[in-house]
Amino acid sequence: MNNSKQLKMTVYTSLFVAFIAIGAFISIPIGPVPIVLQNMFVLLAAIILGPVWGLACVAIYLLIGLAGLPVFAGGTSGIGKLFGPTGGYLLGYLPCVFVTAGISKGLGKKMSSDIIAMVIGSLIIYAAGVPWLKVVTAMTYGKALAVGMYPFLIGDVLKIIAAAFIAKTLRPVIKL
Amino acid sequence: MTKNIIDINAICHTFADGYIGLKNISVSISKGEFIILAGKNGSGKTTFLRHLNGLLLPDSGVIFVKGLDVSKHLVQTRKTVGMVFQDADTQIVGDTVFDEVAFGLENLKVKRAEINKKVTLILEDLNLFHLKDRSPSTLSGGEKRKLAIAGILVMDPEVIVFDEPFSNLDYPGTIQVLSTIIDLNRSGHTIIIATHDVETVICEATRIIMMEDGQIKKDGTPDCIVKHLESFGVRQPCSSKFGMGLQPWLS
Amino acid sequence: MLHLLDVRCKFLMMCLVSMSMLSAQVFACFFYFLVLLFFFKKTGLNIFATLNSIKYFILFLFFIFAARALALKGDSLFSFYGLSVTKQGLNDGFLVAFRFFLVMLTGLLFSSTTKPSSVKSAVQWFLKPVPFVPEKRVAVMISLSLSFMPVILKQAKEVSEAQKARCGDLQKNPIKRIIRLVLPLLKKTFLSADYLVLAMESRCYSDDRTDPEFTPSGKEFFFFAGSVVLSLSLVCL
Ligand SMILES: Nc1ncnc2c1ncn2[C@@H]1O[C@H](COP(=O)(O)OP(=O)(O)OP(=O)(O)O)[C@@H](O)[C@H]1O
Ligand SMILES: [Mg+2]
Repeated sequence: MNNSKQLKMTVYTSLFVAFIAIGAFISIPIGPVPIVLQNMFVLLAAIILGPVWGLACVAIYLLIGLAGLPVFAGGTSGIGKLFGPTGGYLLGYLPCVFVTAGISKGLGKKMSSDIIAMVIGSLIIYAAGVPWLKVVTAMTYGKALAVGMYPFLIGDVLKIIAAAFIAKTLRPVIKL
Repeated sequence: MTKNIIDINAICHTFADGYIGLKNISVSISKGEFIILAGKNGSGKTTFLRHLNGLLLPDSGVIFVKGLDVSKHLVQTRKTVGMVFQDADTQIVGDTVFDEVAFGLENLKVKRAEINKKVTLILEDLNLFHLKDRSPSTLSGGEKRKLAIAGILVMDPEVIVFDEPFSNLDYPGTIQVLSTIIDLNRSGHTIIIATHDVETVICEATRIIMMEDGQIKKDGTPDCIVKHLESFGVRQPCSSKFGMGLQPWLS
Repeated sequence: MLHLLDVRCKFLMMCLVSMSMLSAQVFACFFYFLVLLFFFKKTGLNIFATLNSIKYFILFLFFIFAARALALKGDSLFSFYGLSVTKQGLNDGFLVAFRFFLVMLTGLLFSSTTKPSSVKSAVQWFLKPVPFVPEKRVAVMISLSLSFMPVILKQAKEVSEAQKARCGDLQKNPIKRIIRLVLPLLKKTFLSADYLVLAMESRCYSDDRTDPEFTPSGKEFFFFAGSVVLSLSLVCL
C-alpha cells in the first residue's frame, strides 16, 4: 500500500473513531425509546473501512475510553465502564466489526450482502453483551434478554436499513 | 536560475476525470516577492498552488524549488514551501494549540527540547501563547488562521503559500491575518496569495498573476494589472476605480 | 497535586486500585470511598457536579442492586408478587454496585486531572512493547479523532437545524430521518478529511516521529508505593 493511501485510511479511520464516540450522544427520538446511533457507526465503519482498519477503529475507540477519555455513553470512561454492566456490548464491537467487514467484503460489497453482514454483526454484539449483563446483574437469561436485547431490535432493523443506503451512496464519494 | 527560489517550466496537469487543470504554465519567482494570484472561481489557482508544495505533481514540465526538482525532493520542497489552506478548520491535526504547532516538527523528528523552544517562540511571535492549552476548535476564525500560519512557520519555510486566507473572516480577523502576512514578508519570506478579493492585499503586493482556464493570462506589477482585473472577473479595488490610485487597506 | 503527577504513573495507579476493588469487601469499600473523597477535596473537584455527570450510570447501579437483590436465593426478608428480596441478595447487590461506583469515581478522578494529550502520550508509551502495533500512528489517530469530535458535533447541529428550517422534522419515516441526519454529516466530514490528508502531507507527515515528553513531578515513587499499599489493604480488609 502506498504512503498516500495509507495516510488517507489513517485519517478516515480516525474520523470513524470520532463518529463512534459521538454516536453515543446523538440520538433520534422515535417512539418511546430514542434510537442511539453508536452501533450503526460501528457497522458503517466495518463495511466502509474493511476488516483491518475497521478493527483498528474499534480498538482505538475502546482504548481511548479505557485510558480515561470521556467517549463512552453518558460522557463516561475508564475500566469501570468497560467492565461494567454494559461492557459486553462495547467489547462485542470488536468481533462484530471484524466479522461484518469480512462478510461484506467476501460477498462483494453489494447492498444485500451489506445487510446480511450487518445483521450478523448486530447479533454478535448481543451475543457478547447479553451474557455479560446476565453475569453482572445475576438475572436469568430470559430477563437479561428482555432488558438487554428485545427493546432495541426494532431500532436495529431501522438502523441497518439506513446504514445500507448510506454505505451505498457513500462508497462512490470516498472512492476507497 | 539560482537567483529564483521557484522556477516553473511549462507544467500541465490533467485530473483523473480528464479535466485539464493547468495548461502550459511557466513562471519564475524570486526571493522576497509578494505575489497575488488572482482569478475567478475554478480558474485553477488552488491547483497551481498545490504544485508548488508537491501535493499535486505535473503531468509534463518541471518545477524547481531552490534548484531541486519537486517530484524528486518532496520533503525538502515541503520544508521550503509552507502551505496555508483555504479552510482553517480542516487543517488542524492537534488537540491543543501547542500540539498543533508542534506537529510539523514532530514529523521531521526534531528533538523534543528544540520543539518546545521553537513552538514557544512562534506562539509568542504571533500572540497566541496565552492560548497554548486551548483546543483549536474553540478559537475564533482569525486565531485559527493564525494558528495555521504558526503551524507552518515553525518549520521555517522560505516561501509561504496562502489559499484564500481571508475567506470567512470578519474585519478584525482580516486585519489580524493581513498584518501577520505583511510582517512575514518584511522579515524576508516570499509570499504567494491566491484570492479573488484583491483589494485587501494589493498595496503590499509586488506582482499580480492573473489566471483563467488553467492558464496565466497576465503577469506584472499591480499598477499595470489593476486596470485589467475586471475583464478576468476579479473586482477592481474601489480606490483605483475612482482614480485615486492604490490605497493601503490597513491604515 | 495529582495534576502534576506523571501520567504513566497515574494510569498504573488507577489500574492497580481498580483491580483491587474487584475483590474488596464492604468495609474496604467504605474506606476507599473516604480516600477518594479526600482526593476529590484536595484536587478541588466538585463531587456533586461529578456525580451529576454520571447520573445515568448511578441509575444503572440501582438497577443492578435491585436485580441482584431479587435474583439471589437465601433467607427471604420480605416478598411481593411472588418475588422475594433476600438478605444475601441485598448484601451482594449493594457490594457489587458500590464497587462499580468506586471504580467509576476512580476513573473520573483520573480523567479530570489529566489532559487528553497526555493520555495520548501515555497510550503511546504503553503500546510501545506491544508487537505489530504502530504506536506512533495510534497516537496520531487519537489526536485526529479528538479534534474531529467537536467538528462533527458542530456540523451535526448545523445539519439538523438546516432541516428544521425546511420542516424536515415533520418527516415520519424513521429510516429517512436517520439517513437525512447522518448522510450529509458523513459526506461533509469525509470531504474535510480529504483536506486534512493534504494538510498533513504538506506538513511532511511521517510515522517516524518525535517521541512524546513526560514531565515527572518527582513524587511518583511515593504515590505509587502508596497505591500499592492501598490496593493490598483493600484486598485484605
Ligand atoms: N480532483 C479534481 N478532479 C477533477 N477536476 C478538478 C479536481 N480538482 C479541481 N478540479 C477542477 O479544476 C478547476 C480548477 O479548480 P481550482 O480549485 O484550482 O480553482 P480555484 O481557482 O482555486 O477556484 P476557487 O476560487 O473556487 O478556489 C475547477 O474547474 C475544478 O472543477
Ligand atoms: Mg481554490
